[in-house]
Amino acid sequence: MRIAITAASVRCAAGDALVPPTRCWAAPDPDALALGIPGVARATCPDDPRFPDDRKGSLAAAVLSALPPPPPGARVGLYLGTGLSSLTPAELALDLYPHVVAGGFDRLAMARDLATDRPSPRRHQPHRVTEVLGATVGATVTETSFSACAAAAQSVLNAARAVHRGDVDVAYAGGHDSMLHPIGYLSFVVLGALSPSRGRPFDRHRDGFLIGEGAAILRLQREQDLGPSDTVLGWIVGGGTSVDAYNVTHPHPEGHGASLAMRRALRDAQLTPGDIDYVNAHGTGTPVGDQAECLAVASVLGDVPVSSFKGAVGHTIAAAGAVELALCLGIFGSGELPGTPGLEEVDPELRAQVLKEPRNGVARHILSNSFGFGGQNCALIVARPG
Amino acid sequence: MQRHVKIIGASVFCPAGIGIFGLGPPEPGGVPGFDPIACGVPRKHLKTMTRAVQLGVAGVNAALASASGWEAIGPERRGLFVGASPQAGDAEDLAAALKACGGDPGKFAREGVPLIPPLWLVKGLSNNVLGYASAQHDLRGDNGNWCDGPLGGAIALAQAVHAIAEGRVDLAIAGGADSLVGAEAVVDGPCAEGAAFVVLAAGERGDSVVTAGIPTDDGLEEGFGQLGSAAVPVAWVRAWLKDRKVDVGGVRANWYS
Repeated sequence: MRIAITAASVRCAAGDALVPPTRCWAAPDPDALALGIPGVARATCPDDPRFPDDRKGSLAAAVLSALPPPPPGARVGLYLGTGLSSLTPAELALDLYPHVVAGGFDRLAMARDLATDRPSPRRHQPHRVTEVLGATVGATVTETSFSACAAAAQSVLNAARAVHRGDVDVAYAGGHDSMLHPIGYLSFVVLGALSPSRGRPFDRHRDGFLIGEGAAILRLQREQDLGPSDTVLGWIVGGGTSVDAYNVTHPHPEGHGASLAMRRALRDAQLTPGDIDYVNAHGTGTPVGDQAECLAVASVLGDVPVSSFKGAVGHTIAAAGAVELALCLGIFGSGELPGTPGLEEVDPELRAQVLKEPRNGVARHILSNSFGFGGQNCALIVARPG
Repeated sequence: MQRHVKIIGASVFCPAGIGIFGLGPPEPGGVPGFDPIACGVPRKHLKTMTRAVQLGVAGVNAALASASGWEAIGPERRGLFVGASPQAGDAEDLAAALKACGGDPGKFAREGVPLIPPLWLVKGLSNNVLGYASAQHDLRGDNGNWCDGPLGGAIALAQAVHAIAEGRVDLAIAGGADSLVGAEAVVDGPCAEGAAFVVLAAGERGDSVVTAGIPTDDGLEEGFGQLGSAAVPVAWVRAWLKDRKVDVGGVRANWYS
């Protein structure tokens, strides 16, 4: 497989440039503060009237609108990974609270309320954004992947395969998510997954992740369909997925599922471990997750440089795989391998070559990891242009 | 690489019934007599599964139980492809916390949050059928989970066929599950629940036709009302069980088990 990335667009807390982030970004949010979360990684993005009260919809619309349209007559697909829908404070107060009755909710009254007062229920359908935006690029194929934090990476891989097979001529592929809302915060607070301070993947004192939001979409085309004016930002040359088949919230402690996804990606790309020059880790900053990933990387790829962007952009959840892949495109031609924002002291227990600071180096092939609740894993390999 | 694909097992849970009893006329409503424990859903996980997830895991169990020889295929060559709907963590799990706070966000954080079950988010994950069923049957291969309304299950079926045909897996379980009973006021019409899965394996020449294309919702059986992500898989499996032939919305093949 050799699929050209002919355009890419990203929005996240680090901005909208296709370059690896270098700084930490955390700002207070009243709803987050109420739940004891000191800061979140918020992206700058205007609200889109087509997606009222849906940040992730607005984020997806913003990144798609920044991409060039498909060539005339092309068969187009839109493949998006998405996450849990936002629930606004108003919905919490108006839709849920009034219907609390002894022992639970009056669901019928709640449903009647939702149906008559607001268009809320339909906006919570995950595929709504894909359908609405698909129409704007003339997509005849739309897919909405929901694989938790591996969703966007799986969407990019499915899109690349569809282009490779010839199902579509042009694929717009990526992901979008925002859990910067009360229910989003709440979800991770009760799980104990958020850092009480900030994100610092691979750090000796890492204690959870910084919650973020973002979107990124790549435009994918076959090599033989490229025109003289097309610029290639990178090539998707392979990918692999796996399931841990272990536990819906905890990764396999030795990263078996992650290893399997990386091995499949290498085989798909017809590469050897030595061909990978840099690994953009899932690297959330949770104690267990980082350790399992480092074990997996070392077992499959050996002593390869690894870093994570999540200390700067936060964990963009379902969008992470696309956001981080888009940022990786800036590595090609930079002569530098990125460091890990937020990292102060590398955990000596980790068996991988973690980059704290950027360092000189040329990346010919980058492997990007995404792992999700449910045990779904996806590894993508991109090659430098040329 | 293109390989032939065959169906070696299937399951259906719908308002008409379970398995061959589910071939009657389509009608809205629940799956009669559905008992997740009897269908092999682990008791210890029931609390973190919505009704749709219970149906989905039961559907995978039943499909695999109907297939023979699949255990000989290694776990890393077994894929799972699922169409699902947002599960929206059970609202009941928030009721105590909301009741305790009287609508005050600060009080909610201090006094309400400790009353919420820690696995509330987990219960709401839309890929829970995939997560639980893969762990139960050691399915570690290629996979996917799609939330595309009535097309979610259809996409799962098509992607599973591609995965076998392209040699990424040797066994693929594919289908969808949903439970919309009780959502009539929201979706404006009769609703149903159900699940259906097929077990696909690489076949020999003459076994089957390699399929192509993404199925559409042309094959939905309107009598069920809203069946969500289970709609197309239920239609597929009912058609297959009836005459071992499938011709549903864009994917055309004669299947032989």
